[in-house]
Amino acid sequence: MTRLLVGPFNRVEGDLEVNLQIDEGRVTEAWANSPLYRGFENILQGRPALDALVIAPRICGICSVSQSLAAATALRHAAGITMPENGMLSANIAHGAENIADHLTHFYLFFMPDFARDIYADQPWFASIVDRFKATVGTGAAQWLEQRRRLLHVLGIVAGKWPHSLAFQPGGSTKSIDKGEKIRLLSTVQDLRRFLETNVFADNLDAVTELTNADALFAWADNHPTGDFAQFLTVSRACDLDTLGQVALPLMSQGAYHNLEGSLFSRGVFDPATGKRNSVNIDAFSEDLTSTWMQGATAHPANATAHVDADKDEAYSWCKAPRLNAQPVEVGALARQVVDGQALICDLVRAGKTHVQARIVARLIETARLVSAMEGWVKALKPGMPFCEEKPMVKTGTGSGLIEAARGSLGHWLAIKNGQLSHYQIIAPTTWNFSPRCAAGVAGPLEQALVGTPVRAKEHDPIAVQHVVRSFDPCMVCTVH
Amino acid sequence: MAEKEFDTGGFDFSEVEKRLGVTRRTFLTFCAGVAGSLGLSTNSAMAMAKAIAQPKKRPPVIWLHGQECTGPSESLLRSEQPSLEHLILDMISLDYHQTLDAGAGHKVEEIKKKSMEENKGKYLLVVEGAIPVADGGIYCKIAGETMVDLTKEAAEHAAAIVAFGSCAAWGGVQSAAPNPTGAKGTQAVLPGKPVVNIPGCPPNPANFLGTVLYFVTFGKLPPLDEQNRPKWAYGRLIHENCYRRPHFDAGRFATEFGDEGHKKGYCLYKLGCKGPETYNNCPSLEFNNVGGGVWPIGVGHPCFGCSEQGVGFNKPLFSLADVKTHTPPNAFPEIDDRSDASGASTGAVALASAAAGAVAGATLVTARKLNSSDDGSNSDDQNG
Repeated sequence: MTRLLVGPFNRVEGDLEVNLQIDEGRVTEAWANSPLYRGFENILQGRPALDALVIAPRICGICSVSQSLAAATALRHAAGITMPENGMLSANIAHGAENIADHLTHFYLFFMPDFARDIYADQPWFASIVDRFKATVGTGAAQWLEQRRRLLHVLGIVAGKWPHSLAFQPGGSTKSIDKGEKIRLLSTVQDLRRFLETNVFADNLDAVTELTNADALFAWADNHPTGDFAQFLTVSRACDLDTLGQVALPLMSQGAYHNLEGSLFSRGVFDPATGKRNSVNIDAFSEDLTSTWMQGATAHPANATAHVDADKDEAYSWCKAPRLNAQPVEVGALARQVVDGQALICDLVRAGKTHVQARIVARLIETARLVSAMEGWVKALKPGMPFCEEKPMVKTGTGSGLIEAARGSLGHWLAIKNGQLSHYQIIAPTTWNFSPRCAAGVAGPLEQALVGTPVRAKEHDPIAVQHVVRSFDPCMVCTVH
Repeated sequence: MAEKEFDTGGFDFSEVEKRLGVTRRTFLTFCAGVAGSLGLSTNSAMAMAKAIAQPKKRPPVIWLHGQECTGPSESLLRSEQPSLEHLILDMISLDYHQTLDAGAGHKVEEIKKKSMEENKGKYLLVVEGAIPVADGGIYCKIAGETMVDLTKEAAEHAAAIVAFGSCAAWGGVQSAAPNPTGAKGTQAVLPGKPVVNIPGCPPNPANFLGTVLYFVTFGKLPPLDEQNRPKWAYGRLIHENCYRRPHFDAGRFATEFGDEGHKKGYCLYKLGCKGPETYNNCPSLEFNNVGGGVWPIGVGHPCFGCSEQGVGFNKPLFSLADVKTHTPPNAFPEIDDRSDASGASTGAVALASAAAGAVAGATLVTARKLNSSDDGSNSDDQNG
């Protein structure tokens, strides 16, 4: 039995180390540690309520729109404001653009380059993967970065700048989109569609989103081998990525992209072990600090308080351990698509466990679904109609803002007294996924998913561990805020 | 057309066209644009173009990430015309960057140490993120070492140090009260070392690029203000160049998002705009390269002073700004009639500050230190 410390991880957002216990070439136990702490929740307290809109987004430079929207949602909830439809559409368009940017950046820059490492040099697919995905020189990444720049014009038009946009308010958006801008938005989204239909899928998006099961998916890939998605599927089959990073925990989604009728992706929690889909009871959330360098009782985020204790013996991370009904849950695109009942993704986890392959496929399928939805949202914008509801912020109240960031469920809980924030707690997506052990000794989703991962002889940075960790697309700066 | 304005002296740009994937015209126009925003002549633009076209030796760069969100790197990755990141990565040899690196783990840390040893006194150190110093610096560790130790180590033999973003420049968001981790800017943990500050949350990538281009071309840093910010980028208040300024001068203000004044594009001063006390070039450069008024004030949101120490994350978002340049005329409607605008009173706003335009010796000191390690070429000057 040996111990191995893997990290710091490059090509993840923020700082991460993973401690592994290895026996006979397999991981037998894992501990995830994020060695960064900034104290956002303490900084937010005592400030004017609306200052949350500029402080909270700074938690993260790659999903800042999600943080902005969660803060705005919590304030809206506290003040009882209803956004005009244009405000909802604006938020959806900006959020969709950011989430797609995150998903494809993860695919091209963070996840796939690992398969272009020399350890795979003897594989038949190696040459074409190197050509497309090798870090810093792959043609795929260069094309994506070019496309990403154009996609981010959307965030410029809708929100002024990115990251750390300021336009999002409890009442909607400070930016009224005019007719000319609406056309620019539409052409930018259609330009993204062309990129997806040419480079990523090499097929039209409807054909991809209509695939209903794994057999159909692989048959489709054989017929469209030139796309980058098909290249991933080839690698996935060769490396058995459906057996890697397996975990059987409930999958949770808060529902995403709301409009007057409801939401594009539905809300709920799915238990892969039983195949049952239930509603989420957010009152059953708790934050456990057993393994965190903090002191404080296990409590709901609306009431939780925590004090730093860097000398705590049993602690090993700055990340808290959030639980739903005292259980860890997995969040992310995979959870969103399964909770929404997307046929292909549900089929990929039908054996009762999530895995590396399903997490990657879910991100790309979600991307395809989002592009069509974004075109609809842009078309539905009504220039000349209000984008923001005028209503002053309340002096006293409480609110929660639960949304879906690219990497999964994000929640902000706040209380306002005399116009100032008296309480602020945040649970970020990777806080769920990379949670440390709780009082019951139950490991977090990543820690569980790493058990059983093969480690080759003399590997210092085990390649399979890299695949599992990156399959969650961790955002460590959000995790520890 | 563009190339006729330059005397390229028969210089062959075909190689750089191929390398950067842009036409000669685009490339030269770009260099002229950068030189222009730096306040330099077309001769300097040519010098820059040639420096990029035939790099003597690409300066190696070590890029450290402290307490941060990667916002500055992200904003660099979305820049264009020609893609700035392409240009920068082409001009410099990026030996260590945590988010973009191909490798993993301790191998990359070894490469960093090797590069720092081999390029003693020659590398450019870029710091992104704040440096927590409370409790021995434990709140940010990379490969088991604290950020404060890593920064000091990397700074020791750096030719120049650039603090990229507000966090690295002065501590940024995490240094806001109560500053739970004792977050500080780069200069604060490196007393006596010249640090160039490019604040902003995120900073405009062009401000970084201009500084790096200047460094690569002339072997020294551009003129800096008393806070070590490049003057060409941070020399003026946002208020001075704001397209809504005429509304301020005429006393026309928005008082709520979505009200009549807001819809008409009036001045956002009463919504707490910190443009009157924030030095940055946002009104002229804008953001996200979309053009057409895309920047925070352009989309109807007040500036909150993200780049200005003591303003961003410190003053409440909707409190009135301290107008640095001149006092609003008496004819204005009362400026503190917004019942929920806390903080400044009329009197406080009326206080004119003499801070603008102060020049310190920092530039000279910095340039002198750098000149000792370059070939002394300094054909540029601010008057062209």
